[in-house]
Amino acid sequence: MQWLRDMWTKEGPGIPKNAPKRTGLALFGQIFAREWWEMVKLNILFILTALLIIPLPAALAAAAFVCLAFVEDRNSYLLQDFVDALRRYFWRATLWGVLFGCVIGLGIYAIGTYASAARTSLWMAAPFTLALVASVFITIMACHFLVLMVMRDMPAKTLLRLAAIASIIRPLPVIAALLFVAALWLAHIAFYPVSVFMPAVLNFSLGMFAIVFAAHRAATMVLALSIAPKPASETEATDAKHI
Amino acid sequence: MASISLKKLNKTYGALTVVHDIDLEIADKEFIILVGPSGCGKSTTLRMIAGLEEISGGELIIGGDVVNDVPSKDRDIAMVFQNYALYPHMTVYKNMAFGLQLRKASREVIDQKVQEAAKILDITHLLNRKPKALSGGQRQRVALGRAMVRNPEVFLLDEPLSNLDAKLRGTMRAEITKLHKRLNSTFIYVTHDQIEAMTMADRIVVMADGHIQQVDTPQNLYDRPINMFVAGFIGAPQMNMLVSKLEKRGDGYVAIFDGRELPIPANFDKARIAPYEGKEVVIGLRPENFHELAPVDINPDNIAPFEAVVDLAEPMGSEIHLNITAGNKAMTVRVSPRFKAGIGETAKLVADTTNMQLFDKETERSILY
Repeated sequence: MQWLRDMWTKEGPGIPKNAPKRTGLALFGQIFAREWWEMVKLNILFILTALLIIPLPAALAAAAFVCLAFVEDRNSYLLQDFVDALRRYFWRATLWGVLFGCVIGLGIYAIGTYASAARTSLWMAAPFTLALVASVFITIMACHFLVLMVMRDMPAKTLLRLAAIASIIRPLPVIAALLFVAALWLAHIAFYPVSVFMPAVLNFSLGMFAIVFAAHRAATMVLALSIAPKPASETEATDAKHI
Repeated sequence: MASISLKKLNKTYGALTVVHDIDLEIADKEFIILVGPSGCGKSTTLRMIAGLEEISGGELIIGGDVVNDVPSKDRDIAMVFQNYALYPHMTVYKNMAFGLQLRKASREVIDQKVQEAAKILDITHLLNRKPKALSGGQRQRVALGRAMVRNPEVFLLDEPLSNLDAKLRGTMRAEITKLHKRLNSTFIYVTHDQIEAMTMADRIVVMADGHIQQVDTPQNLYDRPINMFVAGFIGAPQMNMLVSKLEKRGDGYVAIFDGRELPIPANFDKARIAPYEGKEVVIGLRPENFHELAPVDINPDNIAPFEAVVDLAEPMGSEIHLNITAGNKAMTVRVSPRFKAGIGETAKLVADTTNMQLFDKETERSILY
């Protein structure tokens, strides 16, 4: 059993203070390697909450809040933070979740409708393209909106403006994150039944982590703009290390 | 106020007594180090102070209150262990915060204290990491941080640097000394490493076989050891003990070792020495009391030629440790790196007896103090 004890107690290589910080995918991998067990637990928490349907948007916000701590390398008490965030963002997340859900739903409906019409009349390709671009933009904006909402409290109008700016200045990382989320679900479908446990174990939390990771830099940039409200308190300022 | 008194404190395991009725007064904010060879009872004493070992007899008084039966958690102390004792499944932050969580401290308070301690110990960048990624030095800092966040009156440290490599030990020694000055708390530190004891302590407690041998400042322990054990234990290389005969020469005395006459300094208390005239005593000379040439700043009356055969030379860079034999007695002396005598040759040295120690051969106690 020595090996088992060593596994727990053996000294590691140490973490140099001034080592260059990893970026991009390397950082993503590093955080995942560090927090994967927390993500499994977060996934379970999310599923348990989202099963009740109504708290689904708030559960998304709570998951985003916890993932933000992973990205910002902050301490988090998973259950406590999740429940606190669930309570804190319940109404806001529900309202905006329904709103964005409706708009994106409408967009998807419009895309489907115009795509069918475009098969018979080519000029319908224009509204189809418009609906496609608008839907993608709204989806990206929803991602930035979610991340900004859990990063700092601010009026809805400012939040919308900042989310829109973030979506314009850095849309690609979030698109990549959304594709990653899609790939996770495709992998679940493609490798079923081997992948039967994927949604229960990681899909939701890893997907949310990917989105928060992708949106974080843009969110940080827009929060530094003069139109962004300053942190309300010292604690919040500490929480928002990205500022 | 965290003065600590040990009054006739003892610890027995059945018929075996490992700590014998020790008395010790530790002042508030003092940095005291318990030092001694393995099995001397220093860790057991510390663990009794911590409340991790039951006290078999005597009284332990912290801040004026007898705490023999007070549970460890209520003694306002924090302990740092040799093996760090970090929770491997918790991050550094959670390791540090755990004690405060158990005490139901608010999240804000916990965060403030953890961040503050992390800043002092320079481990802010490690807060969200698990212990398995940390090196020994980093783990030790975390262990110190975990003790610090509780803001205890007394810190107990049980050989905290023993698992570290030599270079890191040196760094951490300085860090702990600085930490003591900064925190202004009472530190009780256990080690078998006399360098740690000499460099860090306000006072050192030398223990052997469950008894306190001497309690004093590091310099006093070095200059005025109360017995042969302390004299041999403190100082590296250790003091050379030479069985010699004490004889009178004019107004003074000399110690005769293997035909060599070593003058007893005139300032020594003659009333204490006189009873040993004509008897065998043990004289103690530290390795640095030998020179290749008589130093100019030393009273020439305290100098005696000392020839010995060189057995081994250990170059240390700044000096050479020479293992020599004189009168079948193996000794170690320090000489300069330019010293030339080779192995097997006779080294012509001089002995400076200014700081000589004299011990009773039977009781091994100092004749001088």
